Amino acid sequence: MKKLILTVDDSASMRMLLKASLTAQGFRIESANDGEHGLERMHDVLPDLLITDINMPKMDGFELIEAVRAVPQFRGTPILVLSTEFSDEKKLRAREAGATGWITKPFDSEKLGAAIRRVCP
Amino acid sequence: MPVSDELDEIQAIFFEECAEGLAVAEQGLSAMAAGDVSKEVIGGVFRAVHSIKGGSGAFGHAALLAFSHCFENVLDEVRGGKIPATAEVTKVMLAAFDVLADHVGAAQGVVPPPADAAALAALEEVLATKGAGSGVAVTAVAPAAPAPPPPAPPPPAAAEPAEDQFGFTPLVATVEELDPFGFEPVGVALDDLGPDDSQPWTVRFAPSRAALGNGAEPLLTVRELERLGGVITEVDCSALPALRDLDPEESYLVWTLSLPRNVEESAIAECFDFVAPDSLIEITRADAPAPTPASPPPPPLVADPGSAGTPVLTLVDTVATPAAKPVPPPEARPMDAVLQTIRVDLTKLDMLLNLVGELVIRNSILSDRLSPVDQERVELPELARLTREIQDNVMSLRAQPIRQAFSRVPRMLRDLTAETGKQVILEISGETTEVDKGVIEKIGDPLTHMIRNAVDHGVESPADRIAAGKPAEGVIKLSAEQKGARIFVRVSDDGKGIDRPRVRAMAIDKGIIAADAVLSDEEIDQLICAPGFSTAATISSISGRGVGMDVVRSNVEALGGRVDITSTPGVGTTFTMILPLTLAILDGMIVRLAGQRFVLPLTNVIETVRPEPGQVRPLTPTSEVIELRGSYLPVKRLTNLFGFADAPRRLPEESLVIIVESETVGNVGLMVDTIDDRREVVIKSLDQNLYPIRGLGGATILGDGSIALILDIDALVASSGAMASNIPLKGLAA
Repeated sequence: MKKLILTVDDSASMRMLLKASLTAQGFRIESANDGEHGLERMHDVLPDLLITDINMPKMDGFELIEAVRAVPQFRGTPILVLSTEFSDEKKLRAREAGATGWITKPFDSEKLGAAIRRVCP
Repeated sequence: MPVSDELDEIQAIFFEECAEGLAVAEQGLSAMAAGDVSKEVIGGVFRAVHSIKGGSGAFGHAALLAFSHCFENVLDEVRGGKIPATAEVTKVMLAAFDVLADHVGAAQGVVPPPADAAALAALEEVLATKGAGSGVAVTAVAPAAPAPPPPAPPPPAAAEPAEDQFGFTPLVATVEELDPFGFEPVGVALDDLGPDDSQPWTVRFAPSRAALGNGAEPLLTVRELERLGGVITEVDCSALPALRDLDPEESYLVWTLSLPRNVEESAIAECFDFVAPDSLIEITRADAPAPTPASPPPPPLVADPGSAGTPVLTLVDTVATPAAKPVPPPEARPMDAVLQTIRVDLTKLDMLLNLVGELVIRNSILSDRLSPVDQERVELPELARLTREIQDNVMSLRAQPIRQAFSRVPRMLRDLTAETGKQVILEISGETTEVDKGVIEKIGDPLTHMIRNAVDHGVESPADRIAAGKPAEGVIKLSAEQKGARIFVRVSDDGKGIDRPRVRAMAIDKGIIAADAVLSDEEIDQLICAPGFSTAATISSISGRGVGMDVVRSNVEALGGRVDITSTPGVGTTFTMILPLTLAILDGMIVRLAGQRFVLPLTNVIETVRPEPGQVRPLTPTSEVIELRGSYLPVKRLTNLFGFADAPRRLPEESLVIIVESETVGNVGLMVDTIDDRREVVIKSLDQNLYPIRGLGGATILGDGSIALILDIDALVASSGAMASNIPLKGLAA
């Protein structure tokens, strides 16, 4: 069974880019366009992995991660942050919120795939 | 990897997002300039620039990425309150915004790459001095002190990312752990050592409790090390408690693995990318890289306190807990709402519009041919209503908010005020008014000229304004509203108004009017738009002195609209572009000439006159005039203009004279046989089906299925060898 990934990003081009490059690497992709939508989709999609942006309207990535981790069912779901942010402060905050790992945009699609397989074999 | 077509398509969407982001950023920065420095506003600008940066990296626009990154750094500090949002800082950001917009344009290939050195330097200075630089008044930050405080050292946040940032090459990812390890690779040229089956690398791994949280699985890390050729040499289970005391979320094991020599240290480190930072991770190499095998390994960055004996490189979390609490992101604003859209090729829309036009025509043919009873029987009225509804909907597909045309005005105004030293506040209203895409594309230049004209000739210098008892800052209002099937776009200023004596003198000087012409104020105002009035008439004059207002008028009239000017000396001037809502349907008057029907655009029509005997008189053997309320207007017989030579020559009193307004020759009377009807007609292009014919704007199909040509009044009267202006004729009446 192909792994199912939920990507959350407010930028349509980024969502499409992720979908295109990850589908080509054998993943199934579902998308949401902000944190709130992402949280809602988590329950529909039940993904093997969540990839989320940080800076988003409505609910940002940190809040989304916290909200996802607060759901017992999703405590063990790996969450990768995909953001242009790279400050230690932000990474620490993501870690505290419950992120599994952090990938800095722009991403190389093969390396992204490798990173995904690292948390979601 | 996505195929290139797909990438192109995604990139096109990215550029759309850039345009939206730029609009949000500009709106926010303008609000900041106006004094609104709330978290929401600053956060909105930050997010917009941040998104542009994100995509620019993904699509390999290095220059855009570099610039947006620097801009984002400043915005981040402003957002976090580390740099105060003073007027000076906002000004630097507005200037940076303009350069950012140019960078976006350059990434699209529409403009050359901008020179961004000055803007970058200004941003860097704001970062370095925390907004207190450049010696400009920054009372908000610096308390009154005898000497200005020395500039603060550049914050680490500024210096560190810069290096990170400019090292980015497009599409190269940096996959990082939450704590950057920051150690130097051990300086071994591995290749030189040649293949070796021994396993010199030793890796000790003791996952922390946290390593089992956050959805992470340390076992995956061990498996990955095994894939690199790693062999588990020891598992330390000594900490493992009895089963009843076992906490399933605690980690008790310590793995030791050996790895082959040909494995890069970075590859080993990479396996630990997502391992919680407080885990014990030791990577050591048994054979020393130096020629003497006895020499110790390079000094570790962090000595592992737990390991006795051999110094090891230990990768532990070195990230200090940040002192400042991360800033909560601003609340989302309505404008951030994601619109559900679908992109459609414009040609498909045009085809749909054309088909709907056909449907409308078929409908009116049916209503012409069927008796009222039959119409009811086949429910034609209902069909007509549905058709009309489809038509309205299809038209609205081509409609877009006029904001797009307005969007470049703020920047232009900034450039203009900088250039002229005048102070202007821009007030925009009605920017959500929806107009046909074709109209939006064509009003850009007229709008530019109107704004330029308002700044150059309307708004006075601050000194003059104060002398006139006005505030130093002038106000230019830009508005759009829909009234019926027309769009009114207004540019009004509160400046000195049109200097009519001077305009008149210039017009006489340029031979546009006769020296003795008697003109009303409105007619003088209209002279501004007369061809040849402006000192420079081309679009390139934006940068010159001329204003090219005739360009405004000709562009607007080419769209089937017109320009109104009202001006009060000392109070201000308003230019109004009155435009059709759509280019596909026209409100027309169906007139009959020598048995044929033509459509006269209603926008040109001022009034209709049935001449009394003697009201139309010959002026020369080939020209006639009509006397109308004491003044004379030239009259054209359309039958003559179209060369219907054999048409019976009707007496003026058996005809109708339609007074039309034209760009080139002012008001003219057109003599037609009768008026049949007034109706909306669907314009069919002649250019596409035949070839452009001067004097004809297109064709339409009437209800009975016959074809009627649509008259292009301006081209028609101009091509008929009309006089330069009807204005001097007024002298006749005196």
